[in-house]
Amino acid sequence: MSRVAAASPPPRSVWDSLNPVRLLGELSETRYWMYLLLLPSALLITAVVLYPTVYGFQMSFHEMRLNRPALGTGFVGLKHYARMVSDPIFWTSLVNTAAWVTSSIILEFLVGLIAALALNRNLPGTKVLAVLILIPYFLPNVVAGHMWALMLDPRLGVINDVLVRIGWLESYKAWFADPTTAMGAAIVVEVWHSFPFFTLLIMAGLKGIPADLYKAADIDGAGAFSQLRLITLPMLKTIIAAAVILRVIGLVNSPDLLLILTSGGPGRSTQVLSLYAFQTAYKDFNFGYAGALSVVMFVLLMGFAYIYIRLSKVNQD
Amino acid sequence: MAQTRSSSKLVWDIAAYAVLIVLGFLCVFPLVWTFLTSIKVEEDIVTREMVYFPTRFTFDWYVRLWNQSGYPVLVMNSLITTSVTVLICLATGSIAAYSFSRFNFAGRTQLMLGYLVVRMFPAVLMIIPLFIVMRNFGLLDSSWGLAVAYTSFLLPLFVWMLKGFFDAAPKELESAARIDGSTRIGAMFRIVVPIARNGLVATCVFVAIAAWNEYLFALMLTTSQGSRTWPVGLQLMVGEFQLPWGMLAAGGIISIIPVIVLFALVQRVMVAGITAGAVKG
Amino acid sequence: MTTRFDRRSVLKLGGGLLAASALTPITGAFAQSKSINYWHTFTSQSEAAGLESVMALFKAAHPDIAVTPENIPNPEFMAKITAAVVANTRPSVTMVSSERFQDLLAMGALTDITDRVANWERRSDFSDQRFDSITADGKVYGVPGFAFVDWIYYRKDWFEEAGIAVPTTLAELYDAAVKLTDPSANRYGFALRGGPGGQNFIINMMEAFGAKLIQADGSISLDREKAIAGLTFYSDLAKNAAPSSAPNDGFRQIIEGFQTGQTAMVYHHTGSYQDIASKLEPGVQFGTMAVPTGPVNRVARLAYAYNTITKAEDADAAWEWIKFWGEPDAAVAFLEKTGYFPASTTAAADQRIAGNPMYAAASETLGFGIPQPSFPGAAGWAEGTVLPAFQRILIGQATPEQAADEIIAGLAEATQ
Repeated sequence: MSRVAAASPPPRSVWDSLNPVRLLGELSETRYWMYLLLLPSALLITAVVLYPTVYGFQMSFHEMRLNRPALGTGFVGLKHYARMVSDPIFWTSLVNTAAWVTSSIILEFLVGLIAALALNRNLPGTKVLAVLILIPYFLPNVVAGHMWALMLDPRLGVINDVLVRIGWLESYKAWFADPTTAMGAAIVVEVWHSFPFFTLLIMAGLKGIPADLYKAADIDGAGAFSQLRLITLPMLKTIIAAAVILRVIGLVNSPDLLLILTSGGPGRSTQVLSLYAFQTAYKDFNFGYAGALSVVMFVLLMGFAYIYIRLSKVNQD
Repeated sequence: MAQTRSSSKLVWDIAAYAVLIVLGFLCVFPLVWTFLTSIKVEEDIVTREMVYFPTRFTFDWYVRLWNQSGYPVLVMNSLITTSVTVLICLATGSIAAYSFSRFNFAGRTQLMLGYLVVRMFPAVLMIIPLFIVMRNFGLLDSSWGLAVAYTSFLLPLFVWMLKGFFDAAPKELESAARIDGSTRIGAMFRIVVPIARNGLVATCVFVAIAAWNEYLFALMLTTSQGSRTWPVGLQLMVGEFQLPWGMLAAGGIISIIPVIVLFALVQRVMVAGITAGAVKG
Repeated sequence: MTTRFDRRSVLKLGGGLLAASALTPITGAFAQSKSINYWHTFTSQSEAAGLESVMALFKAAHPDIAVTPENIPNPEFMAKITAAVVANTRPSVTMVSSERFQDLLAMGALTDITDRVANWERRSDFSDQRFDSITADGKVYGVPGFAFVDWIYYRKDWFEEAGIAVPTTLAELYDAAVKLTDPSANRYGFALRGGPGGQNFIINMMEAFGAKLIQADGSISLDREKAIAGLTFYSDLAKNAAPSSAPNDGFRQIIEGFQTGQTAMVYHHTGSYQDIASKLEPGVQFGTMAVPTGPVNRVARLAYAYNTITKAEDADAAWEWIKFWGEPDAAVAFLEKTGYFPASTTAAADQRIAGNPMYAAASETLGFGIPQPSFPGAAGWAEGTVLPAFQRILIGQATPEQAADEIIAGLAEATQ
C-alpha cells in the first residue's frame, strides 16, 4: 500500500489536493456550501441547547417535586398546564410580564433611537458623550442592580435626597415598597441599563445608510421627521427587528434585575413569569410546574417573534 | 441648497447637544456615585446626612477587595471564559451569519428562526439538563465548559446581529469579485468580511460583554475558586450578615474598567471602519 | 461453572481488598492524604476568619485530610445544591441550616450518621435538643456547628429618655414602639422586615398568637383565627411604628435603619451583633433583650447550622471534619472571630459568654428558645406565599383575613 502511494502522484499535487485553502475554495463552489457554513454552529447549538430544551419540555409533563420523592416522577399529562389556568399567581405574573416587557422595550427603543440619531450627527465633542452614553449597557445586572438599590434606598438613597432638596418629594420615598412605584422604578433601572443596546445597534446601522438618500430627500424638501420615517427607519428595519426580538427575549427570560431589586414584591406587584419559574424550581423544588411555566414563556415568545417578523416583513427579500 | 436649510440644521444640532448632555449625565451619574461610594469611609455611606463630596477618602475598600476576596483570580477567570466564548462564536457564528445573509436556500427562514428559538427557552430551566450534559463531558466547573454554555444563548445573538451587518454590505462588490474568478470563500474573506469589519467587531464586543457580565449560568455551573467568575464573586460579598457597600462599589468600578478600555478600542475601529464612501465603493 | 467460580473469586478478592483498605487508613503505610470539599454560606470577613481558624486547628489535628472550602451565595444555595444532587456532583460536606433540612433530606442529599453520632466521644457535650432539627424518624443526619439565637436590639438611650421599661410582652413592645415613633423626625419604633427574609418573623408572630404550624399529632395546619390575630398584630405594628419602606426591607435595610438611628428596635439574632456594635455603643446606646412573650406562646428561635455528609464515598474523612466543630477549641476559636454561639452545651457555659451582660439575653433565650418548624416545602411556602401575602396587607391590597386564607391555601398546596 505504502509503496503504491509513494510511487503514484507527484508530491506537489498531493499537497495541492490536500491544501485546505484550495479544498475549501472548491467546497465553496458546491451546492451545499451554505449548509456547510451552518454546520459548526448548528452542531454546537444542538449539543448545548436542544437536549436541555427537550428535557425541559419533558419535565413539564411529569411530576417532579424534588422534596416529595414519594410522589415519583410519573407522567401526568397536562396536569401542570391545567393548574396554571386556576393559579392566580400565574395570571398576575403574566400581566406583570406584559407590562414589564412592553414598557421597557418601548422606552428603550425610543431613548436608544433618539440617542443614536443625535450621536449620528457627528457633532464636535460628542465622541466622548457616546462613550458615556453607552456605558450602562456594559454593566452587569449584579452591579447595576445594587448601584440603583443604593441610590433609591429609602435611607441612604441619593436620588431621594436630591428630590427632597429640589422639593419634588417631602421625605425620602421607599420606591420598592409601594406597589404603585415599584414596577416603575424597576423599569427605570432596566431602561437605563439596556437602552444603549439599541443606541449602539442603530448607530452602526445608520452608518450603513448611503448619504445620497438624505441628500436626495433634502433636495425634495423632506423634513427631518419625514426623512426619519421614509429613509432611516425602513433602512434599519432588519437591525431594529433583531434588536427588539433579542431584547424581548432577554426581558422575558432573565429574572436577574428584579431578583436583586424587589424579589417580586411588594405583594407580587413585580412578580414576573421568569421569577415565578425560578422560584418554583429552586425554592419550591417543583420542577414539573416550573417546566410548564417555562414552556408557556417559550410559546409566548415564539408567538411574539412569529407575529413580529410577519408584521415587520424582515424576511422579505 | 444647504444654506437654505442651515437654520433648521442649527436647531437640530442644538437639540442633539441637549439630548446628549442630559443622557450622558444620567448615564454617568450612577457610576460617579458608585465611584464616590467606593472611596468614602463607612461612616459617610451609612449615614442620615447625605454626604455628596466626601472630605475623608479611603482606598481601603479596594485594598480589601484585592487582598481578601481573591478578586484577581476571579477577573482572570472571567477573562479566559470571555475570550473562549468570543472565539467559539467567531469561528462558528460568522460563517453561519454569512450563509444566512448571502444565500437564499430551502429552509433558510426556518433555520434562522430556529437559531432564534433556541434562545427562547428560559435559562432557569435549561440549567439542570445543561449541568448534566456538562458533567458527562467533564466540562463542569471549568472556564471552557462555562464558555460553551454561554454559546447556547450568545451564538444566536451573534449570528442574528452579524447577519444584519452582512446584509448592509452591498452584494455588488462580491458579485464583481466572483466574476473576476474568486471562489465564494475567497469573496467572503476578501470582500465581505473587511467591509463588515466594524459590524464584526461590534458583534464580538456585545458577546464579550454579555459573557463578561453573565451571572446565572456562572453561578450554577461553577463552584470552585478556580473557575468562578467575578459577578458571582461580587454577589457573594452581599452576604446575609454584612453590609459591604464600599467593597461592592469598588468591585463594580474595577470590573468595568476592562469593559471601558475594550469599548474605547471599538470606538476607534468604528470610526475608521465603514463609512458611507466605503459602502458606495 | 467456571465463569461463576471466576466471578466469585474476583468478588472475594475485591472484598478482601476493600476490607484491607478499610482497616488501614490513618495508620502508617497507607496514610495517603484524603481531600474533601466543604460547601458553606460564610461570606463576611468575620465568618471567613472564623472558618480559617477552625481549618488551621483541623489541619494541625488531621494533617492527612485536606479540606477545600467552597462558599455558596446564601440566596442561591438551594438552587446550587439541587443542581448538584440532580447531577450527582455533590460536595463531601455541606452546611445545612435547620429550615433547609427537610427539603434536602427529601431530595436524598443527606447521609444517615446515627451510629457515628451515637458513638461519638463528645456526644455528651450536646443536649439532645441540639439534634432535634436534624433528626427525622429517629435518624440523625448532621452535627450542629454553631447556633443562631434570636433576640431584639433596642435603643437603650431612647428607651431611658422616654422612660419606657424593656418590654416583656408583645403588647408592651407594641406600645413602646408606637410611643417612640415620630414620623416628622423620621424616627420609628420598630424596624420591620417585610422584604426578603422577613417570612420567618411573620410565622413567629402567628405562632406567638397561638397558630402553631406543626400540631401535636405531627400534622401540619394553621388555625385561621389565631393566624389572623398574629397577622393583624404584626401589620398594625408595621403601620403604626415601622418606616414606610417596611414591605421591601430586608436584612440590610433593617440593620441600616437601626444603625443610622431611624428605628428603635430590630428583631434579629446574635450574628449581627458585631455590625451593630460597630456603629452604636453597646450597653449605652443600644441593649439587647430576649424576644417578649406573646399572648399564647413565647417564640424565639434557636437555630443551628449543621454540618452534614452529602457524599457517602467521603464519609470517613468528612466525619472527622464535621465532628471537629464540636471540639471546644474549635468552637471557642470560632466564637472569638464571629460572635456565633457554640452549639456545644459545654462550650456555651464558657465564662466569656456567661459573664458578658450583653449576651445575657441570648443565654436566657437558650433556655426557652424553640426550633423553626420544618417540613418538606416549608421554606418555599414561607418565602413564596407567607411573605407576599403579608406584604399585601402592608400595601393595602388584602385584609389580614384574606392574607390568612391565602397563607392557609398555600400551605395545603405545599404539603399535599
